[in-house]
Amino acid sequence: MSATRSRSAVLGRIRAATTTTPHAGTYESLPRAYRMQGELSSDQCVALLIERLREYDADITECTPDALIPTIATQIAKSGRSILAAPIGLPEDWLVPGCDWRVDHDLSHDQIEQTQGVVTAATCAVAESGTIVLHHGPAEGRRVLSLLPDWHLCVLKTSQVVETLPEYFARCDAPPALATFISGPSATADIEMTRIKGVHGPRFLNVIVVRD
Amino acid sequence: MIHPVLDPKLAPPFPKAALPVLRNPQLRKNVAHATDVITSKRGRLVAEKDDWQALRDAASALRAHVLENLGTYLEQFEERCTAAGGVVHWAADAAEAREIILNILRDENASEVIKIKTMTSAEIQLNPFLAQNGIEPHETDLAEIILQLGKDEPSHIVVPALHVNRSQVRDIFARTMHLPDLSDNPQELTAAARTYLRKKFLTVPTAISGANFLIAETGGVSVVESEGNGRMCLTLPRTMITLAGIEKVIPRYRDLEIMLQVLARSATGERMNPYTSLWTGVTKGDGPQRFHVVLLDNGRSDILQRERERQTLKCIRCAACMNACPVYRQTGGHAYGSVYPGPIGAILTPQLMKMEYAQSLPYASSLCGACYEVCPVKINIPEVLIDLRAKVTDQERNEERRFFDPLYLGMRMANKVFASAGRFQAAQRMMRIGLKPLTGKDGWIRSLPAYGARWTMTRDLRGVPQQSFREWWTSRANGKAKP
Ligand code: SF4
Repeated sequence: MSATRSRSAVLGRIRAATTTTPHAGTYESLPRAYRMQGELSSDQCVALLIERLREYDADITECTPDALIPTIATQIAKSGRSILAAPIGLPEDWLVPGCDWRVDHDLSHDQIEQTQGVVTAATCAVAESGTIVLHHGPAEGRRVLSLLPDWHLCVLKTSQVVETLPEYFARCDAPPALATFISGPSATADIEMTRIKGVHGPRFLNVIVVRD
Repeated sequence: MIHPVLDPKLAPPFPKAALPVLRNPQLRKNVAHATDVITSKRGRLVAEKDDWQALRDAASALRAHVLENLGTYLEQFEERCTAAGGVVHWAADAAEAREIILNILRDENASEVIKIKTMTSAEIQLNPFLAQNGIEPHETDLAEIILQLGKDEPSHIVVPALHVNRSQVRDIFARTMHLPDLSDNPQELTAAARTYLRKKFLTVPTAISGANFLIAETGGVSVVESEGNGRMCLTLPRTMITLAGIEKVIPRYRDLEIMLQVLARSATGERMNPYTSLWTGVTKGDGPQRFHVVLLDNGRSDILQRERERQTLKCIRCAACMNACPVYRQTGGHAYGSVYPGPIGAILTPQLMKMEYAQSLPYASSLCGACYEVCPVKINIPEVLIDLRAKVTDQERNEERRFFDPLYLGMRMANKVFASAGRFQAAQRMMRIGLKPLTGKDGWIRSLPAYGARWTMTRDLRGVPQQSFREWWTSRANGKAKP
């Protein structure tokens, strides 16, 4: 088959090109003198995250663990949305009354598209760049769930916040099969470099930071 | 709008292609504005990172390490990706990659396909090929839709439509989307594109993407973007095809901690791009259930063989070099006649074409070094440019036609003249007389006749001064010199 022939031809050329060159070093010896560990206290780190997320025009609310459920309810009410999607693993009590919840028991794309927003948890957040990381576990939902609805309400715990990107990777014991890094809502600058929010993804990002 | 040819085999040489651009003030204004905005944002955000140079060192060393061990990492990627349910294909050249993709699409009974912006698919001229074969490709990146609907070509690898302004976008959208009342407000234009594409996302079952990184450790693929069109294409369809150059691999998941930090800052002057997606083969219940990766060589393994040029393959396509390049900023991207414009295009394109086309590109540079300074993976572009110029000259030396080339004959004559002081002085006197009618009042020559025009087409030439240094020196020794 020609496909296997190309495989060995390409690999053969690569091997021929690389076996003669001196070995610059092992993977382990590669330089990594950049900043790995943050220096901020955990309060400063959370403050930085909030500042960065606000630069992206995200809506941020802080609360204590006890106040989480009422805070979710208030944020939803404030958004004026009531038809909401939820991942199957979202804690039961987060599904506050007064909304039409569509829990993701294999919702079709059209069904998700018909919701007005989605509530999810997160895996981690990186303060320095204002990045929220989802590994798409049961409380974070399938990738499509945080993509189609126009409004994303994301619940984050302060214990999940790190200062630098390397600190996030250090926390990953095993690399995830799926991950989405979100740094602010969908945006484009393709027309005369004017930043426009929300081309295709959710146009509004709302984050509740729980001080745990 | 001019429809440029971005196939190096057909495109005119750079100096010729650059001329119409230099006479198009609107286009130059658009390009200058966009590159100014990005470079100033980039400068600000790089300055706030005190470990920037350490990140560059790490990124550069990591990419060099990958290239030295490319075979190992590719095989590892293939094994892990396959184990995770992906299908890996190897394409030796553009034609084979196109065939592989077409066959997959035929198996899927696809009549249309949605695409995430990918330079690699432009490199293999995939869209026209699919269209010829009855499969309609839909670009989904805002800039790419502007170009696709406007029958234009990309002029930048990160902001492909930077040469088009809002009123031009309005005209394209109003015409092709049948929205006569559309305004030229970017917000409204973006909303029009959102509506236009949402239906495509939800109905077209097959997608094509490129890859920013392939991860050997996990067999995972990563796509970095801003708009969310990428997430749409790689989540909603049933089948997903990723076309990636063989150099795109990185060893481990954790290496993204370097690459993502340097990429976004260099590319768009942001701390992080809005969306980064990672997926590994197929995941039940989440995203496409059939996944193919096409690994594209298309000249890359040849570049690998040449020690000094190998660094070209470290490139992560951030476009910082073109934003910083004084030549690109004057000419925009189309003049390069290749999907890869700017400094990286000037070294990558001739090499991908195995030094058979695009021979004018290594000369499309002032060698000022600005590209090297900004490159996050520290590719010494000027060094490669000079090396490629030497290659072009070597090739020409062996061509027979050089004996009839007036430029070559002129150079041979100049060689003789420069070799003797007497001949040189005589030539100076003759030139002073001969060039006088062509020299302006300010002492500059704007255009030479005949073959000399090839020089003055792109430069002004200083006229021969009334007194040479040697003449001044002699008259000074005779005590007659004016200081
Ligand atoms: S050569 Fe360097 S600066 Fe230019 S696109 Fe590639 S990585 Fe970026």
